Amino acid sequence: MMKNLTVRTFVDNLPWLLLVALVAVFTGINPRFVGPISLANIFMAAAPLLCLSLGATFVIVTGAIDLSVGAIVSASCVIYGLSFPSMGNWSLLAALLFGLVAGGVNGLLFTRLKIPSFIVTLAASALWRSLALIMVGGGAKGIPMELWPKLKWADWSLGVVPILFLIALAAFAIYYFVQSKTALGKSIFAVGASERAARIFGLKVNSTKFWVFVLSGVGSALAGAFYSIELKTSQATIGDPVTLLAIGSVVIGGTPLTGGKGSVWRTVLGALLVVIIQNGLNTVAVDPYWQQIVFGAFTILAVYLNSEKGGRNLIVK
Amino acid sequence: MEDMLFQANDIGKEYPGTVALKGVDLEVRRGEVVGLVGENGAGKSTLLRIISCVEQPSSGSMEMRGEPFRGRNLLEANQSGVGMVFQEQSLMKNLSVAQNIYLGRESQFRRLGLIDWRRMNASAAEVLSSLGLDDISPARNVLELDFATRQMVEIAKVLNIVGDNEDGCLILLDEPTSVLNDAEIKKLFEKIKLITGQGNAVIFVSHRLSEVIDVSDRIYVFKDGRRTALVDRKDANEDLLYEKMVGRTTSGEYFKVKNQTEPGDEVVLEVRNLGMRGYFRDVSFRVREGEVLGICGVVGSGKEEVCSVLCGDDSPDSGRIFLGGEERRFSNPADALDTGILSVPKERREEGIIGILSVAENISLSSLKAISRHRMVSGRASVDRAEEWIRKLNIKASGPKVNVETLSGGNAQKVVFARVIAGENKVVILNHPTRGVDVGAKEEIYQLIREITGRGIGVVLLGDTLDETISLSSRLIVMKDGLVVAEMDSPKDSKPSQFDVVRYMM
Repeated sequence: MMKNLTVRTFVDNLPWLLLVALVAVFTGINPRFVGPISLANIFMAAAPLLCLSLGATFVIVTGAIDLSVGAIVSASCVIYGLSFPSMGNWSLLAALLFGLVAGGVNGLLFTRLKIPSFIVTLAASALWRSLALIMVGGGAKGIPMELWPKLKWADWSLGVVPILFLIALAAFAIYYFVQSKTALGKSIFAVGASERAARIFGLKVNSTKFWVFVLSGVGSALAGAFYSIELKTSQATIGDPVTLLAIGSVVIGGTPLTGGKGSVWRTVLGALLVVIIQNGLNTVAVDPYWQQIVFGAFTILAVYLNSEKGGRNLIVK
Repeated sequence: MEDMLFQANDIGKEYPGTVALKGVDLEVRRGEVVGLVGENGAGKSTLLRIISCVEQPSSGSMEMRGEPFRGRNLLEANQSGVGMVFQEQSLMKNLSVAQNIYLGRESQFRRLGLIDWRRMNASAAEVLSSLGLDDISPARNVLELDFATRQMVEIAKVLNIVGDNEDGCLILLDEPTSVLNDAEIKKLFEKIKLITGQGNAVIFVSHRLSEVIDVSDRIYVFKDGRRTALVDRKDANEDLLYEKMVGRTTSGEYFKVKNQTEPGDEVVLEVRNLGMRGYFRDVSFRVREGEVLGICGVVGSGKEEVCSVLCGDDSPDSGRIFLGGEERRFSNPADALDTGILSVPKERREEGIIGILSVAENISLSSLKAISRHRMVSGRASVDRAEEWIRKLNIKASGPKVNVETLSGGNAQKVVFARVIAGENKVVILNHPTRGVDVGAKEEIYQLIREITGRGIGVVLLGDTLDETISLSSRLIVMKDGLVVAEMDSPKDSKPSQFDVVRYMM
């Protein structure tokens, strides 16, 4: 079916086009950009970002926002690293359990006290960041070198695709399943599009909001564990910059902040784009201080392109 | 004519799909109170909005003080001497009386860029005193005042806004008595006399006919957007006004009365002594399978609140609800849905549809289990069922995947019905099921309601008009001031007249 290329459809497909265009541009400037080392780096960096952006996508589709993803990443990274000597690879479970609890706390405070999600999660993030710092007693604590062989599995890769990215893809598959095949997934979009209507339709609005925060917490915790596995350390500040990256991944992928629209598969594109922008700027040797400016501008531009210009959907969350 | 203040000639107003006003003439003389009466939706409020220039008429013209009058907004109406006191109070509760009176007009008190509050308060005191309201302190917050006093402040404010040009102004009062008690109403009427005594005129709208007769010099009666009568006070009595408001009955064929089903014996829904503080109490009724129970009453009678308790949107303070003989409690619509109650809500755009989702998604969202295969929601099943409903209900949509917001009102409403019926619930609440729907779609919806009851579903109906409620229902209850005041059968061969029902409502 032929369709007129309207502005809307152009914006909808922009993430794809941008991905192709950026790879082309960066490769043009530096051909090693598509080399195996560079690609492996991109996938490695995208793995944790994808995990934490998946849950954040659901939160944003419901029309709320989770600003605590970064702090949950930090705390989870610390919990994984600190419990590794005693629990070995089972510490992943400890980290995920923490994510479940942290997300649950966000969800409960948000739905029971009816406080705006940005303030609940902003306050919660202070809590988890402090907890991470207290547990580790300062900046970072390494996983003892004699235990590193136990983490050997994480170095395995399928061609240029490291196993951590494959795990992230598996997580994506689960979130995609939730999105498209469960009642929760359907409710997420309904609540985000019109909370009032969703309630009258007989959907469980509060339980939907609760579970998206739990899923966001778990995704962030998985990302935290990834950082710990990759860096072989408990680093209490690792998550500080990733909240913006996660929200950036979601909106650059094309999920609008106004809720009711979007998809986790868009977030896969978004996360790859974010990492490619970062790596690309490195590859063409842009000063890291300037990179943040570029990234912030991209995020603002993405939000602008995805927002309704009618002024009907004001974002006050 | 010397004392003519305002004149409206042949005013018409059309909205897409409906005619709200047609060929309305209205004359208001200086010193006069003109009453407007009519059922909900008869066109009173629309006429007030047109006179106050909040809306533009589709046809006709108006004159004020002998000059052609056509403002683009309320502000321009004010400048010509027409002011409106709105049904919902429009004062800013966190500001003082004086600040409210001069809201948006503070610049007259500006000195060196700052506002001289003392001068504003003094000036406001004068305004209040001219209405005999010396006991209201202009510095007090509106929040601290009772409803009656707020209403007076609002009238004083409007009078002050429009009264600048001394040549007689027209004040529109839309249901000013709905929140007032008898003593307060008396006080309000005294003020109205005071205002009209100064050469101004008032247009007064109320559901309480006795009040209208009390205060008005002449009464215009509206029905279905037309003026059906103009009655002088000396000729007015409540029975006469009822009769003119009701008019003749619409034909039974339109409402598919011959298809009305005979209720079965099984009681699907029973309500005992239901109450919600401040809204209604001691409401009891039964709905049998295949029955349509219509609830009649004016706005504020408590029927809307009964409805929102039944669909789980509000919680009652007292009373019990039984479904199929079993007592049930629910605190939100999701729980109500679990027990088998679902509603077609009143506000279609905000509550009935989710515009940015597709027709298929809208239809399936209230019955997700039904479209699940192996416990997984199936997009295919959702689309298949939507296609079926689009065919069955003759929904004009280019396919199940288009967004509902692209559909016309009538077709969107059919999507709402499809969603509500698809779940095969035992009880369906219809809250204004034909609101904002064109005539053709209305007839289809009436037929649909007959089919719903044909399947043994119990229906509770709040109709858009009294005519509709009576014609569609097999039994009626009438509510007034939060109580059930009458209950009557409405069989297909001997429908009660609207007059029979209205006399209990007012």
